[in-house]
Amino acid sequence: MNCAECRDHLVACAEGLLDREEFLQCQTHLESCADCREEYQSITRLQQRLVASGQAAAEVSVIAPVMQRILHEREKPERATIMSRLLKHRWGFGLSAAAGVAAAIILFAILAPANVQAKAVEILAKGAQAAAKLTSIHLRGQLRTAPGDNFGYINADAPFYTIEVWKQFDPDLKWRIEKPQRVIVMDGKSTVMLIKSGNVGVKLPQRTTSAFDTDWLQRIANLSNALTNELKNALAKGWKLGVTEETGPDGKLKSVVTIMATSGLPDNDYGKNAFMENADTRRVYHFDAASGLLEAAQVYVVRPSGEVQIFDLSEIDYNQPIAADTWALELPADVSWAKLPESLPKLPDNEKYSSITAEQAARAFFEACGREDWDEAGKFMSPVNEQTKQYLGGVQIVSLGDAFTSKSYGGKFVPYEIKLRPQEFTVRVSNENPAHRYVVTGICDTNLNVQQDLKWTNPPAILPDNDTYAKMSPAEAAKACLDAWKRLDWDEMRKFDPGYDVEDEKAKAATAEKNGTDPHGRIPLMEVGEASWSAEQSAWFVKCRAYQTKKWNLAVRQDNPVKRWQVDGGI
Amino acid sequence: MNLTDKEYVERCRDGHPEDFSLLVDRYQKPLFSYLAGRTQGGRDAEEAVQESFVRAFLSLKKLRKPESFYSWLLGIAGRIAKEQFRALAHRQRDQEAAETMMADANDSVEDYPLEEAIAVLPETYRRVILLRYYEGLSCQELATRLDMPLGTVTKTLSRAYTLLRQELKTREGVAENIQTNHT
Repeated sequence: MNCAECRDHLVACAEGLLDREEFLQCQTHLESCADCREEYQSITRLQQRLVASGQAAAEVSVIAPVMQRILHEREKPERATIMSRLLKHRWGFGLSAAAGVAAAIILFAILAPANVQAKAVEILAKGAQAAAKLTSIHLRGQLRTAPGDNFGYINADAPFYTIEVWKQFDPDLKWRIEKPQRVIVMDGKSTVMLIKSGNVGVKLPQRTTSAFDTDWLQRIANLSNALTNELKNALAKGWKLGVTEETGPDGKLKSVVTIMATSGLPDNDYGKNAFMENADTRRVYHFDAASGLLEAAQVYVVRPSGEVQIFDLSEIDYNQPIAADTWALELPADVSWAKLPESLPKLPDNEKYSSITAEQAARAFFEACGREDWDEAGKFMSPVNEQTKQYLGGVQIVSLGDAFTSKSYGGKFVPYEIKLRPQEFTVRVSNENPAHRYVVTGICDTNLNVQQDLKWTNPPAILPDNDTYAKMSPAEAAKACLDAWKRLDWDEMRKFDPGYDVEDEKAKAATAEKNGTDPHGRIPLMEVGEASWSAEQSAWFVKCRAYQTKKWNLAVRQDNPVKRWQVDGGI
Repeated sequence: MNLTDKEYVERCRDGHPEDFSLLVDRYQKPLFSYLAGRTQGGRDAEEAVQESFVRAFLSLKKLRKPESFYSWLLGIAGRIAKEQFRALAHRQRDQEAAETMMADANDSVEDYPLEEAIAVLPETYRRVILLRYYEGLSCQELATRLDMPLGTVTKTLSRAYTLLRQELKTREGVAENIQTNHT
């Protein structure tokens, strides 16, 4: 590398943007050239000044107070206009004055769009100002999510679960966020997450302002900044703003600001609407008009098929003392601790794991689980605890697809279909009926204990082609029944299974289809073995094996210091 | 909507005062750093930042070169910093002590021309510097935000550094000359 080439690279070198080879070439040149070295030092000195200047101002946020002041200044003549227009239309304030008779809604949409926006900005700025110096906040709401999944995970088809945030700002920062199967506590010294459903703990040994996918909740808790950012984003990204005013149940005037927020992700992105950050949403904020304080909020996911409410923030306590035990987290004695990606050890054969593709990593992981080689599986996932072993031990890969990415995720998704460890059972069949063909009379375990008794309220009918069925062996009849079930061929299934059981399965398949899931997918793959006669029970028992299959996308990422693919979700 | 300073200023003048928040967002941090060195810092600097923006907004019609909004804002901020010191002196009824304090403050901040030097950069380079160091964006995030390849970000940043160093050299050279002539 000569001087000219070196100087072209100096800023990239100081910014850490060179690849290893370029970096080494640059360093070699700098060691031998005093002029370039001086140039490089001058760049790093300037970089340090810029970093220091930026850091000194990192916490500054004056948008809300500035906007409140300037809009107030500007609004003095504007207010008369708004008032006179409203009075002219005989709307609004007259009714509003008669509060208590009925809730009055004044639609600011009758104003020019610029005025709606100015009014929304004023309300948001006032809200931000009102929440500027909080000592604590407690939020309680409901979120459509999975109870043990990430805090950012949303699912418009899931039921609502309670979610709570406690945050103390003064005298020192502490926070706790909780939903039914997942909780995080930052007690001022360290940050610990417990995933109750997996009995997994994760510990960050330091104080944090946010951690583990709680950003969107932390942002709401930092309410003043949250409202300022909403305002900023709405204006910068051209999000549509709406304003209404109404009289609340307490007789006080409320200001309601609506923001149509877009995530910027394309509709076909895998992560779209699966996480709060990636969703197109309509957000509705309810403020007390006098104090400017936020009282409630709702978030709706906006999909082509329509809107679904996913978040309902119904309780907000400002500056209330928070009980000391909120910052304590009781951990189960047998909790398994997950390794943090940044502390993954470099393996002696690390290259073997860092140089493979995402698909190869997914295959290696599932194969290790299939062999129950938990040391090997542990190289791809942390922790591998008893629950993981129970679930994935003996797993077989049916298929793996090509990895794909989402703009919202730093790793890759590998489509997979796996067969989980088989479940053995027996099917009880009998031909002691007028049609003399074998039909199913119960599902039993391998010790022939009845798990599900399938009594025929009406005896099996004599079929037009009854002979064909009457010739079937016990094992053939059991197989025909299970195959018909797998094919969702209800008429055929009815020839072997009591009608009420067929109707029950038919209803379950319809529900799955309605929920957008493959109705075939919920039925396991089955193998039928030999039949044996039980004199004690006067029936044939057919040995069967069910392989529950799972089809989904394994999330893997490699952005850790040792570049090893790590399973990050989707199991 | 990611407009230039000039476009935001024009929109504010054209009945969209709410767009001023985007200019506040763009410059609040460098302005704070600038004022932190010219006031008592902390709360005083933050108040001076607020006051600077409010006065800038109220005088926006008088701004002749909207593309020089930030340089103009720094001018307003400089005057507000001086007013703060005068007010402090008035409160303390000790003009001399305040002047000493002001001189000390100016002396102690060797970086004060940095924000002024940033202000005279062409807007493309200024945006990159502000987003990188005052908003804390990584180069990769910058590439996404500005919708440009990573290589272009590196080149723009390199050019911004060159221009900034030239500007600082000129200003610090002038400052050094003034100091030499006065001693």
